[in-house]
Amino acid sequence: MGVELDYAADLMNRIIDGIDGPRIGIHICRGNWSTREDVLLTGDYGPLLPALTKMKVRQFVLEYATPRAGEIKVVGEALSGSIPGTDIPRELGLGVVNPRTTEAETPEEIVDKTRLALKYYRPEQVFLNTDCGFGCFANRCVNVEEVATAKIRSIVETAKMLREEYS
Amino acid sequence: MFTTTQVGSWPRSKSMLKALRDYRLGRMNRKEFNTVADDEVRRTVRIQEDVGIDILVDGEHRRDNFYSFITDKVDGTRLMSLAEMLDEVEDRSGFEEMLDTLDVPASAIRNPTCVGRLKRREPLAVDDYLFVKTLTDKPVKITLPGPYLLSRSMWVTRYAGKVYKDQFDMGDDVVSILRSEIEELAQAGCEFVQFDEPVLTEIVMSQECGRRTFM
Repeated sequence: MGVELDYAADLMNRIIDGIDGPRIGIHICRGNWSTREDVLLTGDYGPLLPALTKMKVRQFVLEYATPRAGEIKVVGEALSGSIPGTDIPRELGLGVVNPRTTEAETPEEIVDKTRLALKYYRPEQVFLNTDCGFGCFANRCVNVEEVATAKIRSIVETAKMLREEYS
Repeated sequence: MFTTTQVGSWPRSKSMLKALRDYRLGRMNRKEFNTVADDEVRRTVRIQEDVGIDILVDGEHRRDNFYSFITDKVDGTRLMSLAEMLDEVEDRSGFEEMLDTLDVPASAIRNPTCVGRLKRREPLAVDDYLFVKTLTDKPVKITLPGPYLLSRSMWVTRYAGKVYKDQFDMGDDVVSILRSEIEELAQAGCEFVQFDEPVLTEIVMSQECGRRTFM
Protein backbone atom coordinates (compact mmCIF):
# COMPACT_ATOMS: atom_id res chain seq x y z
CA MET A 1 0.00 0.00 0.00
CA GLY A 2 2.78 2.44 0.95
CA VAL A 3 4.59 1.72 -2.31
CA GLU A 4 1.45 2.46 -4.31
CA LEU A 5 0.86 5.72 -2.44
CA ASP A 6 4.46 6.84 -2.99
CA TYR A 7 4.12 6.01 -6.66
CA ALA A 8 0.87 8.00 -6.93
CA ALA A 9 2.52 11.06 -5.35
CA ASP A 10 5.58 10.71 -7.56
CA LEU A 11 3.49 10.50 -10.74
CA MET A 12 1.58 13.63 -9.82
CA ASN A 13 4.69 15.65 -9.00
CA ARG A 14 6.43 14.63 -12.22
CA ILE A 15 3.48 16.07 -14.14
CA ILE A 16 3.01 19.34 -12.31
CA ASP A 17 6.51 20.31 -11.13
CA GLY A 18 7.45 23.71 -12.47
CA ILE A 19 4.13 24.34 -14.24
CA ASP A 20 3.18 28.00 -13.98
CA GLY A 21 -0.27 29.39 -14.51
CA PRO A 22 -3.20 27.13 -13.79
CA ARG A 23 -4.28 26.44 -10.24
CA ILE A 24 -3.69 22.71 -9.87
CA GLY A 25 -6.02 20.53 -7.89
CA ILE A 26 -6.62 16.87 -7.26
CA HIS A 27 -10.04 15.39 -6.72
CA ILE A 28 -10.40 12.25 -4.68
CA CYS A 29 -13.72 10.54 -4.00
CA ARG A 30 -15.07 7.14 -3.11
CA GLY A 31 -16.82 6.27 -6.34
CA ASN A 32 -19.76 7.81 -8.17
CA TRP A 33 -21.07 5.06 -10.40
CA SER A 34 -24.27 4.33 -8.46
CA THR A 35 -26.85 6.26 -6.49
CA ARG A 36 -26.75 3.52 -3.86
CA GLU A 37 -24.60 4.92 -1.07
CA ASP A 38 -24.10 1.42 0.37
CA VAL A 39 -22.08 0.19 -2.61
CA LEU A 40 -19.64 3.14 -2.64
CA LEU A 41 -16.49 3.08 -0.50
CA THR A 42 -16.32 4.33 3.07
CA GLY A 43 -13.45 5.79 5.12
CA ASP A 44 -11.78 9.11 5.91
CA TYR A 45 -8.78 10.54 4.01
CA GLY A 46 -6.37 9.65 6.84
CA PRO A 47 -4.65 6.65 5.21
CA LEU A 48 -3.96 8.74 2.08
CA LEU A 49 -2.17 11.54 3.92
CA PRO A 50 1.37 10.15 3.40
CA ALA A 51 0.82 10.61 -0.36
CA LEU A 52 -1.28 13.77 -0.25
CA THR A 53 1.18 15.70 1.91
CA LYS A 54 3.93 15.05 -0.67
CA MET A 55 1.90 16.15 -3.69
CA LYS A 56 2.72 19.69 -4.82
CA VAL A 57 -0.90 20.44 -5.67
CA ARG A 58 -2.53 23.64 -4.50
CA GLN A 59 -6.04 22.39 -3.95
CA PHE A 60 -7.56 19.18 -2.65
CA VAL A 61 -11.07 18.82 -4.00
CA LEU A 62 -12.71 16.47 -1.55
CA GLU A 63 -16.06 14.90 -0.75
CA TYR A 64 -17.56 16.08 2.50
CA ALA A 65 -21.30 16.09 1.86
CA THR A 66 -21.42 12.35 2.37
CA PRO A 67 -20.77 11.04 5.87
CA ARG A 68 -18.78 8.22 4.26
CA ALA A 69 -15.89 10.70 3.89
CA GLY A 70 -15.33 11.12 7.63
CA GLU A 71 -14.27 14.31 9.38
CA ILE A 72 -12.76 17.49 7.89
CA LYS A 73 -10.33 17.55 10.82
CA VAL A 74 -8.35 14.73 9.15
CA VAL A 75 -7.27 16.86 6.19
CA GLY A 76 -7.67 20.20 7.97
CA GLU A 77 -4.80 19.41 10.32
CA ALA A 78 -2.50 17.95 7.67
CA LEU A 79 -3.22 19.85 4.45
CA SER A 80 -3.99 23.46 5.35
CA GLY A 81 -0.38 24.72 5.26
CA SER A 82 1.72 25.66 2.23
CA ILE A 83 2.56 23.62 -0.87
CA PRO A 84 5.89 21.88 -0.04
CA GLY A 85 8.86 24.07 -0.93
CA THR A 86 6.74 27.22 -1.40
CA ASP A 87 4.86 29.78 0.64
CA ILE A 88 1.67 29.32 -1.37
CA PRO A 89 -1.13 28.25 0.97
CA ARG A 90 -3.00 25.12 0.05
CA GLU A 91 -6.74 25.20 -0.49
CA LEU A 92 -9.65 22.92 0.24
CA GLY A 93 -12.27 22.39 -2.45
CA LEU A 94 -14.95 21.53 0.05
CA GLY A 95 -17.63 19.18 -1.22
CA VAL A 96 -20.90 20.49 0.17
CA VAL A 97 -23.56 18.83 -1.96
CA ASN A 98 -24.04 15.15 -2.70
CA PRO A 99 -24.45 14.75 -6.48
CA ARG A 100 -26.49 11.57 -6.06
CA THR A 101 -29.42 12.72 -3.93
CA THR A 102 -32.71 14.17 -5.17
CA GLU A 103 -33.00 17.11 -2.74
CA ALA A 104 -30.75 20.15 -2.77
CA GLU A 105 -28.85 20.77 0.45
CA THR A 106 -29.99 23.94 2.25
CA PRO A 107 -27.70 26.94 2.74
CA GLU A 108 -27.92 26.30 6.50
CA GLU A 109 -26.50 22.81 6.06
CA ILE A 110 -23.75 24.12 3.82
CA VAL A 111 -22.87 26.93 6.23
CA ASP A 112 -22.53 24.41 9.06
CA LYS A 113 -20.24 22.24 6.96
CA THR A 114 -18.14 25.22 5.93
CA ARG A 115 -17.69 26.33 9.54
CA LEU A 116 -16.09 22.98 10.28
CA ALA A 117 -13.53 23.67 7.54
CA LEU A 118 -12.94 27.22 8.85
CA LYS A 119 -11.46 25.75 12.02
CA TYR A 120 -8.43 24.84 9.88
CA TYR A 121 -8.57 27.09 6.83
CA ARG A 122 -8.91 30.83 6.24
CA PRO A 123 -11.94 31.84 4.13
CA GLU A 124 -9.64 32.54 1.15
CA GLN A 125 -8.47 28.92 1.23
CA VAL A 126 -11.95 27.45 1.05
CA PHE A 127 -13.68 26.77 -2.26
CA LEU A 128 -17.23 25.45 -2.26
CA ASN A 129 -18.08 22.70 -4.74
CA THR A 130 -20.02 19.56 -5.38
CA ASP A 131 -18.73 16.28 -3.90
CA CYS A 132 -18.25 14.84 -7.37
CA GLY A 133 -19.67 15.16 -10.86
CA PHE A 134 -23.33 14.69 -11.75
CA GLY A 135 -22.52 12.36 -14.62
CA CYS A 136 -19.03 10.87 -14.47
CA PHE A 137 -20.22 7.93 -16.58
CA ALA A 138 -22.34 9.27 -19.45
CA ASN A 139 -24.82 6.43 -19.45
CA ARG A 140 -24.83 6.16 -15.69
CA CYS A 141 -25.47 9.79 -14.71
CA VAL A 142 -26.32 10.04 -11.04
CA ASN A 143 -28.71 12.96 -11.33
CA VAL A 144 -30.90 15.09 -13.59
CA GLU A 145 -30.30 18.66 -14.72
CA GLU A 146 -33.06 20.19 -12.62
CA VAL A 147 -31.70 18.82 -9.35
CA ALA A 148 -28.10 19.54 -10.34
CA THR A 149 -29.07 23.17 -11.00
CA ALA A 150 -30.82 23.46 -7.64
CA LYS A 151 -27.76 22.06 -5.92
CA ILE A 152 -25.27 24.47 -7.49
CA ARG A 153 -27.72 27.30 -6.77
CA SER A 154 -27.61 26.34 -3.08
CA ILE A 155 -23.81 26.52 -3.19
CA VAL A 156 -23.87 30.00 -4.71
CA GLU A 157 -26.47 31.31 -2.24
CA THR A 158 -24.44 29.98 0.65
CA ALA A 159 -21.24 31.55 -0.64
CA LYS A 160 -23.01 34.95 -0.73
CA MET A 161 -24.11 34.57 2.89
CA LEU A 162 -20.66 33.50 4.02
CA ARG A 163 -18.93 36.35 2.15
CA GLU A 164 -21.16 38.87 3.88
CA GLU A 165 -20.28 37.41 7.22
CA TYR A 166 -16.54 36.99 6.72
CA SER A 167 -15.51 39.99 4.62
CA MET B 1 -13.21 33.84 -0.57
CA PHE B 2 -15.62 30.90 -0.81
CA THR B 3 -15.09 30.62 -4.56
CA THR B 4 -17.78 28.38 -6.04
CA THR B 5 -17.22 25.69 -8.64
CA GLN B 6 -18.05 22.10 -9.57
CA VAL B 7 -16.15 18.85 -9.86
CA GLY B 8 -16.80 18.53 -13.60
CA SER B 9 -19.54 16.44 -15.17
CA TRP B 10 -23.15 17.39 -15.84
CA PRO B 11 -26.15 15.08 -16.52
CA ARG B 12 -26.33 14.10 -20.21
CA SER B 13 -29.45 14.82 -22.20
CA LYS B 14 -31.12 12.15 -24.33
CA SER B 15 -29.76 13.74 -27.50
CA MET B 16 -26.23 13.81 -26.08
CA LEU B 17 -26.45 10.15 -25.10
CA LYS B 18 -27.66 9.27 -28.56
CA ALA B 19 -24.82 11.26 -30.15
CA LEU B 20 -22.25 9.56 -27.91
CA ARG B 21 -23.58 6.19 -28.94
CA ASP B 22 -23.86 7.00 -32.64
CA TYR B 23 -20.37 8.50 -32.72
CA ARG B 24 -18.90 5.49 -30.91
CA LEU B 25 -20.52 3.11 -33.37
CA GLY B 26 -19.39 5.14 -36.37
CA ARG B 27 -22.90 6.21 -37.34
CA MET B 28 -22.12 9.88 -36.81
CA ASN B 29 -19.06 11.85 -37.87
CA ARG B 30 -17.04 14.06 -35.62
CA LYS B 31 -18.44 17.30 -36.95
CA GLU B 32 -22.03 16.20 -36.36
CA PHE B 33 -21.07 14.93 -32.91
CA ASN B 34 -19.48 18.23 -31.98
CA THR B 35 -22.53 20.15 -33.16
CA VAL B 36 -24.66 18.27 -30.64
CA ALA B 37 -22.04 18.48 -27.88
CA ASP B 38 -21.41 22.21 -28.42
CA ASP B 39 -25.10 22.89 -27.81
CA GLU B 40 -25.03 20.90 -24.58
CA VAL B 41 -21.93 22.75 -23.40
CA ARG B 42 -23.59 26.08 -24.26
CA ARG B 43 -26.61 25.19 -22.12
CA THR B 44 -24.45 23.97 -19.24
CA VAL B 45 -22.38 27.16 -19.31
CA ARG B 46 -25.52 29.31 -19.40
CA ILE B 47 -27.00 27.50 -16.39
CA GLN B 48 -23.82 28.08 -14.39
CA GLU B 49 -23.69 31.74 -15.39
CA ASP B 50 -27.38 32.23 -14.51
CA VAL B 51 -26.85 30.60 -11.13
CA GLY B 52 -23.68 32.66 -10.53
CA ILE B 53 -20.98 29.99 -10.24
CA ASP B 54 -17.49 31.55 -10.14
CA ILE B 55 -15.36 28.96 -11.97
CA LEU B 56 -17.18 27.13 -14.75
CA VAL B 57 -16.87 23.60 -16.13
CA ASP B 58 -17.97 22.34 -19.55
CA GLY B 59 -19.91 19.43 -18.09
CA GLU B 60 -17.74 16.76 -19.78
CA HIS B 61 -20.52 16.18 -22.31
CA ARG B 62 -18.11 14.83 -24.92
CA ARG B 63 -16.76 12.18 -22.59
CA ASP B 64 -17.96 8.59 -22.37
CA ASN B 65 -16.64 8.69 -18.84
CA PHE B 66 -14.07 10.80 -17.03
CA TYR B 67 -11.10 8.59 -17.98
CA SER B 68 -12.22 6.32 -20.85
CA PHE B 69 -12.54 9.34 -23.18
CA ILE B 70 -8.78 9.43 -23.69
CA THR B 71 -9.16 6.58 -26.20
CA ASP B 72 -10.42 9.26 -28.62
CA LYS B 73 -7.15 11.17 -28.22
CA VAL B 74 -4.35 8.75 -27.43
CA ASP B 75 -2.87 6.13 -29.80
CA GLY B 76 -2.31 2.67 -28.37
CA THR B 77 -5.62 2.55 -26.51
CA ARG B 78 -8.88 0.71 -27.00
CA LEU B 79 -12.23 1.49 -25.43
CA MET B 80 -13.39 -1.75 -23.77
CA SER B 81 -16.51 -2.35 -21.75
CA LEU B 82 -16.05 -4.13 -18.45
CA ALA B 83 -18.03 -6.99 -19.98
CA GLU B 84 -15.38 -7.34 -22.69
CA MET B 85 -12.66 -7.22 -20.07
CA LEU B 86 -14.19 -10.13 -18.19
CA ASP B 87 -12.34 -12.46 -20.54
CA GLU B 88 -9.03 -11.00 -19.43
CA VAL B 89 -9.31 -11.11 -15.67
CA GLU B 90 -7.88 -14.03 -13.77
CA ASP B 91 -10.73 -14.40 -11.32
CA ARG B 92 -13.67 -14.05 -13.67
CA SER B 93 -16.40 -15.17 -11.29
CA GLY B 94 -14.97 -12.99 -8.52
CA PHE B 95 -14.92 -9.97 -10.86
CA GLU B 96 -18.48 -10.62 -12.01
CA GLU B 97 -19.66 -10.95 -8.44
CA MET B 98 -17.93 -7.69 -7.51
CA LEU B 99 -19.63 -5.83 -10.40
CA ASP B 100 -22.97 -7.21 -9.33
CA THR B 101 -22.49 -6.39 -5.65
CA LEU B 102 -21.34 -2.87 -6.46
CA ASP B 103 -24.28 -2.21 -8.78
CA VAL B 104 -21.92 -1.73 -11.75
CA PRO B 105 -23.43 -2.40 -15.18
CA ALA B 106 -20.59 -4.24 -16.94
CA SER B 107 -21.77 -3.36 -20.42
CA ALA B 108 -22.29 0.34 -19.74
CA ILE B 109 -18.97 1.19 -18.13
CA ARG B 110 -15.94 1.34 -20.37
CA ASN B 111 -12.21 1.31 -19.74
CA PRO B 112 -9.33 2.84 -21.74
CA THR B 113 -7.22 -0.30 -22.14
CA CYS B 114 -3.61 0.03 -23.30
CA VAL B 115 -3.07 -2.10 -26.41
CA GLY B 116 0.02 -0.44 -27.89
CA ARG B 117 2.61 2.26 -27.31
CA LEU B 118 0.82 5.31 -25.92
CA LYS B 119 1.09 8.50 -27.91
CA ARG B 120 -0.87 11.71 -27.51
CA ARG B 121 -2.36 12.05 -30.99
CA GLU B 122 -4.25 15.22 -30.08
CA PRO B 123 -4.85 17.27 -26.93
CA LEU B 124 -7.09 15.65 -24.32
CA ALA B 125 -8.89 18.81 -23.27
CA VAL B 126 -7.24 21.94 -24.70
CA ASP B 127 -9.96 22.20 -27.36
CA ASP B 128 -12.65 21.84 -24.72
CA TYR B 129 -11.07 24.70 -22.80
CA LEU B 130 -10.84 26.95 -25.85
CA PHE B 131 -14.48 26.27 -26.75
CA VAL B 132 -15.79 27.17 -23.29
CA LYS B 133 -13.76 30.37 -23.38
CA THR B 134 -15.69 31.43 -26.49
CA LEU B 135 -18.85 31.27 -24.34
CA THR B 136 -17.80 32.96 -21.13
CA ASP B 137 -15.38 35.47 -19.61
CA LYS B 138 -15.33 33.59 -16.33
CA PRO B 139 -12.45 31.35 -15.26
CA VAL B 140 -12.76 27.71 -16.32
CA LYS B 141 -11.81 24.46 -14.65
CA ILE B 142 -10.60 21.59 -16.83
CA THR B 143 -10.67 18.05 -15.48
CA LEU B 144 -8.18 15.35 -16.46
CA PRO B 145 -7.89 11.74 -15.36
CA GLY B 146 -5.14 11.40 -12.77
CA PRO B 147 -1.92 9.59 -13.61
CA TYR B 148 -2.37 6.91 -10.97
CA LEU B 149 -5.89 6.12 -12.15
CA LEU B 150 -4.62 5.77 -15.73
CA SER B 151 -1.52 3.77 -14.89
CA ARG B 152 -3.76 1.32 -13.07
CA SER B 153 -6.90 1.10 -15.17
CA MET B 154 -5.16 1.05 -18.57
CA TRP B 155 -2.97 -1.90 -17.68
CA VAL B 156 -4.27 -5.28 -18.82
CA THR B 157 -1.27 -7.60 -18.93
CA ARG B 158 -2.33 -9.55 -22.00
CA TYR B 159 -2.27 -6.39 -24.15
CA ALA B 160 -0.05 -3.85 -22.42
CA GLY B 161 2.51 -6.50 -21.49
CA LYS B 162 3.39 -6.93 -25.15
CA VAL B 163 4.52 -3.33 -25.40
CA TYR B 164 5.66 -2.33 -21.94
CA LYS B 165 7.96 -4.06 -19.49
CA ASP B 166 5.61 -3.36 -16.61
CA GLN B 167 3.07 -0.89 -15.27
CA PHE B 168 5.79 1.60 -14.30
CA ASP B 169 7.18 1.55 -17.81
CA MET B 170 3.72 2.41 -19.17
CA GLY B 171 3.30 4.95 -16.36
CA ASP B 172 6.24 6.95 -17.75
CA ASP B 173 4.31 7.49 -20.98
CA VAL B 174 1.17 8.43 -19.02
CA VAL B 175 3.25 11.09 -17.25
CA SER B 176 4.58 12.53 -20.49
CA ILE B 177 1.08 12.67 -22.02
CA LEU B 178 -0.37 14.51 -19.04
CA ARG B 179 2.66 16.76 -18.74
CA SER B 180 2.29 17.85 -22.38
CA GLU B 181 -1.40 18.44 -21.77
CA ILE B 182 -0.92 20.65 -18.75
CA GLU B 183 1.83 22.62 -20.49
CA GLU B 184 -0.52 23.37 -23.38
CA LEU B 185 -3.40 24.19 -21.04
CA ALA B 186 -1.11 26.60 -19.19
CA GLN B 187 -0.11 28.19 -22.46
CA ALA B 188 -3.76 28.57 -23.46
CA GLY B 189 -4.40 30.42 -20.20
CA CYS B 190 -6.41 27.75 -18.40
CA GLU B 191 -7.21 28.93 -14.90
CA PHE B 192 -7.72 25.62 -13.08
CA VAL B 193 -6.73 22.03 -13.86
CA GLN B 194 -8.12 19.26 -11.70
CA PHE B 195 -6.77 15.71 -11.79
CA ASP B 196 -9.28 13.03 -10.85
CA GLU B 197 -7.87 10.24 -8.72
CA PRO B 198 -10.87 8.39 -7.26
CA VAL B 199 -9.00 5.12 -7.32
CA LEU B 200 -6.65 6.32 -4.57
CA THR B 201 -9.35 5.66 -2.01
CA GLU B 202 -9.65 2.13 -3.25
CA ILE B 203 -6.12 1.15 -2.33
CA VAL B 204 -6.66 2.19 1.26
CA MET B 205 -10.35 1.51 1.77
CA SER B 206 -11.32 -1.49 -0.30
CA GLN B 207 -9.83 -3.92 2.18
CA GLU B 208 -11.70 -2.37 5.04
CA CYS B 209 -14.90 -2.37 2.99
CA GLY B 210 -14.18 -6.00 2.09
CA ARG B 211 -14.04 -5.51 -1.65
CA ARG B 212 -12.24 -3.84 -4.53
CA THR B 213 -13.88 -1.87 -7.32
CA PHE B 214 -13.50 -1.98 -11.07
CA MET B 215 -11.09 0.90 -11.76
